[in-house]
Amino acid sequence: MSAERPSATPTTVGIVVNGRRRHATVEAGDSLLTTVREGFGLTGAKPACEVGTCGACTVLLDDEAVYSCLVLGVECEDRRVDTVEGLADHGELSRLQDAFIECDALQCGFCTSGQLMSLEGLRRAEPEPTSEDIERAVQGNLCRCGAYRHILDAAEVALTVRSAS
Amino acid sequence: MSLHPIAERYIRADNLEDLTLELLDESSAYFAGGTDMIPLQLSGVTSVDTLVDVKATGLDRSIERDGDQWQIGALTTLADLEDHEGLADDISAIRAALRQVATRQIRNRATIGGNLLQRPRCSYFRDAQIDCWMKGGDGCPARDGLTEYLGVVPNDTPCIAVQPSDLASVLVMAGASVEISSPRGTRHVDVADLLAVPTPDRRSLHSLEHGEIIRSVTIPAGNHRRSTYLKAMDRAVWQFALVGLAASVTLDDDGTVSKASLVASGVGAVPHVLSASAAALVGKPLDATTIGTCAELAVDGLRPMSDNGYKLSLLAGLVHRSLS
Amino acid sequence: MRAAELDDLTEAGVERVGRPIPRVDAVDKVTGRARYSADISLPGQLVGVIVRSERPHAAIASIDTNAACAIEGVAAVMTGADVSEYAWYEDDEPLLPRVGDIVRFVGDDVAVVVAETESIARRAASVVEVRYDDLEPLTDVEHVDDDDAPMLLGNDEIETEEEGRGDVETAFTRADLLVEGVFHTPTAVHNAMEPHGAVADWRGEQVDVYTSTQGINDVREHLAERLGIDHSQVRVICEYMGGGFGAKQVPWKPTMLAVVASKLTGAPVKVMNDRRSENLAAGKRNATVQRVRIGAMKNGSIVAIDAEIDAEVGAYSVPGEASAVHGPYLFLYQCDDVRVRTRRLRSNLGPAVAFRGPGYLESTFVLESLMDELAVELGIDPIDLRRRNHAGRNQQEDVAWSHPDGILRSYERVAEESGWANSFDRQASERIRRGRGFAAHDWVAAGAMPPGHATVEFNFDGSVHVGLSAQDLGTGTRTVLSQVVADAMGVDLSHIRLSLGDTSTGPPAPTSAGSATVPTMAPAVRAAALAAVDDLLDAAAEHLGVDRSTLSFDGSNVSSTVADVPDQPLTDLCADLSPRVVHGWGSKEATPDDVSPRAQGSAEAEVEVDLDTGAVRVTRIVVGPDCGRILNRRLADSQVLGGVTQGIGFALTERQFVDHHLGTVMNPDLNEYLLPTASDTCEIVHAVLDIPDLAANEVGAKGIGELPLLPVPAAIANAVHDAIGIRFRDLPITRKRVLDALTARDTSTRNDEQESS
Repeated sequence: MSAERPSATPTTVGIVVNGRRRHATVEAGDSLLTTVREGFGLTGAKPACEVGTCGACTVLLDDEAVYSCLVLGVECEDRRVDTVEGLADHGELSRLQDAFIECDALQCGFCTSGQLMSLEGLRRAEPEPTSEDIERAVQGNLCRCGAYRHILDAAEVALTVRSAS
Repeated sequence: MSLHPIAERYIRADNLEDLTLELLDESSAYFAGGTDMIPLQLSGVTSVDTLVDVKATGLDRSIERDGDQWQIGALTTLADLEDHEGLADDISAIRAALRQVATRQIRNRATIGGNLLQRPRCSYFRDAQIDCWMKGGDGCPARDGLTEYLGVVPNDTPCIAVQPSDLASVLVMAGASVEISSPRGTRHVDVADLLAVPTPDRRSLHSLEHGEIIRSVTIPAGNHRRSTYLKAMDRAVWQFALVGLAASVTLDDDGTVSKASLVASGVGAVPHVLSASAAALVGKPLDATTIGTCAELAVDGLRPMSDNGYKLSLLAGLVHRSLS
Repeated sequence: MRAAELDDLTEAGVERVGRPIPRVDAVDKVTGRARYSADISLPGQLVGVIVRSERPHAAIASIDTNAACAIEGVAAVMTGADVSEYAWYEDDEPLLPRVGDIVRFVGDDVAVVVAETESIARRAASVVEVRYDDLEPLTDVEHVDDDDAPMLLGNDEIETEEEGRGDVETAFTRADLLVEGVFHTPTAVHNAMEPHGAVADWRGEQVDVYTSTQGINDVREHLAERLGIDHSQVRVICEYMGGGFGAKQVPWKPTMLAVVASKLTGAPVKVMNDRRSENLAAGKRNATVQRVRIGAMKNGSIVAIDAEIDAEVGAYSVPGEASAVHGPYLFLYQCDDVRVRTRRLRSNLGPAVAFRGPGYLESTFVLESLMDELAVELGIDPIDLRRRNHAGRNQQEDVAWSHPDGILRSYERVAEESGWANSFDRQASERIRRGRGFAAHDWVAAGAMPPGHATVEFNFDGSVHVGLSAQDLGTGTRTVLSQVVADAMGVDLSHIRLSLGDTSTGPPAPTSAGSATVPTMAPAVRAAALAAVDDLLDAAAEHLGVDRSTLSFDGSNVSSTVADVPDQPLTDLCADLSPRVVHGWGSKEATPDDVSPRAQGSAEAEVEVDLDTGAVRVTRIVVGPDCGRILNRRLADSQVLGGVTQGIGFALTERQFVDHHLGTVMNPDLNEYLLPTASDTCEIVHAVLDIPDLAANEVGAKGIGELPLLPVPAAIANAVHDAIGIRFRDLPITRKRVLDALTARDTSTRNDEQESS
């Protein structure tokens, strides 16, 4: 391998992040994960595996949950990216966030942002999700502390009609 | 050993026609969902300099019923397919398979085109430090090593990697084909031929040439309402199939099988078509004897290595389960 | 000290403790604002990427860093030549190898590239040219005794540690029957979601280290000693940490490398492991081979236990590695004659370190599998068999357990919650069998791991600050300690702020390990809180000019029995007392030595086994951990879920596998190292005990982290046996193992039939 490999030229990308259009300087090879963390200073999405095998970096790209480590920052020009930092509305926690606290759906918290964003993706796509929908939504988010049962409980509380009654 | 940069350059192509073969030299590659490409680049197994994003080229992200066939654009994501009610009604194996493919986050990004073109998931292949035939080397270190996840269908190469796509087996079961284009022109090929046992000159699990791209997938409609996909994994979800089985059976009014198609994943370099098993079903009722014969034929001719003999029992078990 | 000298937290006045309040730091965690080590970004911060060995065993022939150094944005490439004054892991082992030094596993640290961005550092790391002179590796320790086995560091004299009591060989001659077997437990990897790593910031003579660790004080002391500086020159901060499970209870190389790189470059440097490094070089649960036989009488009483254990501990001896595989054999059951012989074998694989229930998990699986076998052979109910062998005391040291009946209560509760006495249908469908299994466990570290110290002071508005230098791994330390303080003072939780996770925020606290943080720190903060109340009353007496004995504090007012002295609202009083700071100091410095603090328990598992596909699905786990007093039920439940979930992983999916020809780990990733997902869990029932064990420590809480994990793999394996009649002596119980076993049984049945026909 030669040392003269061309180094990537940074470019500017404009992304609608949590509802606000922002710009960041990215290299061609920067993942969206790197872009939101380093370009926008949003460190809720976590670098835990960086190869799409854990879910800790889950964000919404045009309302769909994706592993931000498997998306390039540069390809998100003009697209909407939502991160955990955008869930609360002026300090008011969302139902999902409240339910996570209420059900203790977290322990160390490192996977929590990803769990929340996967469920937020479900919430936006499916107004009345079933328990199976909920389970499928978080199958791609590992939690080594093993908070899964509480995460499923919290999602039921926050997302299903049953909880409203 | 550490992670490598994902790429040095990124080009967003706005139409396929302008992409010349010169641009697409060996140091560049098409990029769509990226769910396989990015990990390959990060691990150093591949080192493509330029990623050519084809998502803005006018390739379709669409699922259309066109008479007796489904037309699916190459950029259609696995999640699009999973969520499509009409497709699920018509070929139930598709949703059954897709719900077990990776995770929702992957399915939201992975395209049907890219799904068919995955590199092997063999962990020897995926370790950039390990020399192996598929990566251009001489032999297969896995043969003397860990074969639990590897193939049992013999072929002429040293490689015992398996085709990782679950969907591929369903598409082969359903007789799907793809439209392929390149600066040289357009061609149509069955998925069963696109996915091919590698050769010394073509060390990949498909026969797409450099510069070619899948434009769309066509699936004959109306034949596989009674179909399913069973997948065996060590973990409940999020693992490549130890063995998977796409199965479609059509019954006459009197309960005898009129048509059957069985295709196994996780056993060979290509989706493994169980023609003898399917043939044994046709004209018979789905009783224990027929199913037993079908299961026996399914494992006929398979050649396990030291650690993967269980795949034969598993395949037979899935045949039983899918037909019972 | 004696147990009776403990200042018991009796039931009186216990209000906030036990309440299932939400975590005090939950909002930070659900908003993405909790700051973990990798989130630290300091001005001018550089990124270090570690170049790791590609060979399992080799001498370094050369390291060429020219190409890497030539890349724009590279600040430094550090090799062994640059850091030769520092040792790591062991006293004679270099932090980084110099030319001629030996790398001992694939993934061993070779060099560090420090650059302006991570992508530059990665690009540069990929062009560091290392040449190796290969040596013969040994990754399969079952060959360690071969004549031609390569000699590895630490294997020159393999010591057999023998523990036990009585005369085992003679005892076996008395036994009516014997159960025995050879068991294999896999290498399991912690794979905490947050990797190991640090941001180090040298400024002048001092260094701040932001690192993901279970022991900020231990990191501080260890770094200072290796660097040859004062403890006071090192400040270690771990505000939030993303899971440890034992792997972060010792400082690892990335932390030291960040520190050294920061010193070298004069800038803050971040070094974080990637996932591959986490799987290769950041600790693991030692794989074991256990040859065990148990002798018993017809009535079920055990008369002899003999265990031979080989544990694969990797290439280096890491502090905190000594996992106690021998423990359960010595302690769980009444038995006069026990012998356990353990060998710790080095290999050319990454070093082992404690992992939740270290050693105990590995041998609990074995012991409890054999107990189940014994129960089946004797036709005795599995729970009854365990009752008959109840120990009640530490037979090695001849002292009573702190709560001799705790485990019996657990049997009762688990039986109750699982409906053990009810009939059980073993046929789920034509080809799916059901089974249930039971297992018990011991755990040793229930007393405390002193010393632990804390301070409590009243702010001038009467609100309370608690300072300590423990850390919260995600277990809820912040929350439950706040509850203990609130209770001790009677002050509402909303007026209490507890600082931890920084060596500069409080006096020394122990490493969080062995479920001992709560047993150690709860008494310490409680003592500090009571001392602060004492100080408050002293100050108030002086201020009011009344006798101290007339005063009392109810959490909001200081009142006097003297008639004309009005109640003093705390807020006013503290303001009046200014500039005096009302404060207290508390500690936990000793554990009772006249009892043996134990935290034991048991579990029941129910499974379905698919005869066609070999799938084992766990359908329910009931677990009854005797963790002593439950300080917060909601958080205790979370620990239970976590332990059980990890138990399911250890039983069914998790293992690191190695190609012994290549000498390399083939699944250093989360693709094939199969952590349980949400769909691998099942209904999990916490059979709550909540028995304050006031002989173990002042608060009566014994810690819960390890407990709900320990009995689970054996309970699952026993349930699988109950379902299909096959014993699995090797974990995990994969599809391959189930199907191979079913095929082997079918074949032998067929052969038997042929022979008899």
